[in-house]
Amino acid sequence: MNFFIRLLVDFAYFLDTSVWYQKKRRFFYNLLENDDYKYKKYFDVFMMILIFISVSILIYEVKRTAHDALKFFNAYIVSLIFLIEYLLRLWISSSVSKVIIHQDEYSDLLGQKFDLLFVIKRIAKDKLEYIVSPKALIDFFAIMPFFHELRLLRIFILFRVFKLFRYTKSFQTFTSVLATKKFEFLTLGMFAAIVIFVSSVLIYVMEANNPNSSIDTLYEAVYWSIVTISTVGYGDVTAVTQEGQFVSVVVIFAGIAVIAFTTSLFVSAFTEKLEDIKESKTIQDVSKFKRVYIICGYESIAREVAKKLLRSKMHIVVLDDDATRVELAKKDGLEALNYNPGSVESYKKLNLDFDKHVQTVLCLRENDVQNVYTALTIRSINDNVKIMSLLMNHANKSKLVYSGVNEILYDKEFVGLIAREYVGQPVAFEAIHALRAEESNIKIEEILITERVSQTTVTVGDLENIKFRVVLLGIHKKSSGRFYFNPIDSTLLETGDFLLVIGNYMFIREFMKSLSKKEKMKG
Amino acid sequence: MGLRSALIFGNNEYGLEIARNVTNKYKSVTVFSLSGIEEYVEDNHYKFEEFDLSENWDTLSSKYAMEESIIFCSLSDEAKNIFLTISLRSAFKDVSIIALAKNNEDANKLKMAGASKVIPIVETTASIITDMLKKPIITDVLHKILYDDSKLKLVQIEVKDASCFGGKYPAEIEWSRDHGVLVISMMHKGKSPEFIYSSKTKHNLVENGDLFIVVGYEADLEEFKKFLGGGVC
Repeated sequence: MNFFIRLLVDFAYFLDTSVWYQKKRRFFYNLLENDDYKYKKYFDVFMMILIFISVSILIYEVKRTAHDALKFFNAYIVSLIFLIEYLLRLWISSSVSKVIIHQDEYSDLLGQKFDLLFVIKRIAKDKLEYIVSPKALIDFFAIMPFFHELRLLRIFILFRVFKLFRYTKSFQTFTSVLATKKFEFLTLGMFAAIVIFVSSVLIYVMEANNPNSSIDTLYEAVYWSIVTISTVGYGDVTAVTQEGQFVSVVVIFAGIAVIAFTTSLFVSAFTEKLEDIKESKTIQDVSKFKRVYIICGYESIAREVAKKLLRSKMHIVVLDDDATRVELAKKDGLEALNYNPGSVESYKKLNLDFDKHVQTVLCLRENDVQNVYTALTIRSINDNVKIMSLLMNHANKSKLVYSGVNEILYDKEFVGLIAREYVGQPVAFEAIHALRAEESNIKIEEILITERVSQTTVTVGDLENIKFRVVLLGIHKKSSGRFYFNPIDSTLLETGDFLLVIGNYMFIREFMKSLSKKEKMKG
Repeated sequence: MGLRSALIFGNNEYGLEIARNVTNKYKSVTVFSLSGIEEYVEDNHYKFEEFDLSENWDTLSSKYAMEESIIFCSLSDEAKNIFLTISLRSAFKDVSIIALAKNNEDANKLKMAGASKVIPIVETTASIITDMLKKPIITDVLHKILYDDSKLKLVQIEVKDASCFGGKYPAEIEWSRDHGVLVISMMHKGKSPEFIYSSKTKHNLVENGDLFIVVGYEADLEEFKKFLGGGVC
């Protein structure tokens, strides 16, 4: 026995430390349960297609005879896929090896014998909990048509329709919203059940012995009661005696109360959870962005920045602890969350990988204290992400530097510099600012030298920019990180360099096309 | 030292930052505090005076050569800033007034009040931030050319001897090869500046009084200035 236990424990440790096993387990977990996993949606769509095919065959078979191949597909292939899915879900629902290891460590610690029975009970309990869960039961019944020889079991194919709920997030949201009103729904259910029971008994007593009455059995009485209380009133079963009609009036009033109560419960549940639903939708949308700018604080400058970034089709998420400003951001067409930008919890909820997904964090509160706090919060989460912050009072500059801000934006300094340039050379100032204006046709652009371009366009002389009426201001060399103004024709172009060009945007586009055409010609 | 005085209305961070930046371009820089409202902070670099919005500016015209001065209106209260601008414009028709506005809405009002140039703070700051995000290299290079003490400069140069171009159109001249500079724009006979390769510039022969917006190293720019100034070609 001891040998067997040792073998079991060793095997559990082996599974727990096996990279291959854990990788496979994680893969199936992500595929089946993790909504953020990018391949899950493909799996869900595949399963939904199978369900639709399966149910379509069932409908077809009601009045016709399906082809044998279709029957085989429905009874065996689809069922087998569902069976595999069921077993995989059962596997990932709880970790057997973890239970064994936990018990082993516990026994070691207390110097007790390994309790195999406890382990078996615990594993059975965990697995049973999963097996009897509504979703698992539906999955189980959906496999039943596998035994299609038993005609009764064919009806279980309808459970495959219920399986659809597993793959549709909106239904899960719906049930989770209603779950918040569990107590109220229970109270309502009890009230309705009592009314139905009492009225059924009363109407049965009043009507069952009357030969003109359509209520003859208790079943018919319950049916009448439910139809009446739900205010549907088909009229196929009605009370004919005076006493019975009196009961009808009472049940009708009770029915109005039940319907009103039910409607108000649905409405209040959704109203209360609406913000949460919207919030999780926003987080879901943001997680789809490959590169995102996080704007912390949505005041006047932040609003202008967001507008400009949005026009350039850049992805932005706004975090602000002020609900009014968040509403404003939403009205401006932005993804916005009423989260405190200075709280680590906010970024946890946002569930973004800073290294992979966050382009830059912009601390744009018009308040230095808040910006320092936000910058420090972000630095405590990630060391590498670029942080830009507004500075309102020059005396606080050093605090922003210490909090890890990479770029400080001091609007007074901008104003001072612009004033200096303007008073010195107003015409040059207007000319250069016209180049930077969004509405101007003349643009100043950065063009990246890709590996393929550098193979065909070796030197500056090969660019032929003058032919396209484009001024080459200079090159930003990747190797040295320096800008070279007005480079001579023999200057070599290398991959990663940037050309800084000025010209009409249409000519710049043509110029860029000519560079790529050279690639193709070479190809 | 071309103009005589810079008169900065608004003893606040904006006003002082402007003062710091224009101090070497003017003979005297005076910062005016709105009496009873703005804190009267002085330092040794500029002159400080108080003013009142009800003034008729006689003292100002007696102290400064207004026709050669520049005025900055940078009061933090928007309404007072607009009132100040309109008041100064009514007193001095030809003086150059640069006003700070919080946003574009106020910028329009300040233009209507007679400001020669308005800097809308929110929009300007937002533009600079987005440029830094969208085109970081260009922003960095332009910042160095425009504001830093790099040897690369952006200047406007007036043509004094157009005969040097021998009847050529601007687009036909190889500026960088011949002069080591890049001509970005040209302002022909008091019109607005046009890009050097634009259709309008293409059909304008270079004439005396035209302005070129040129980027280049200081030494090359000096040579180019001499070339345009006549007597060299």
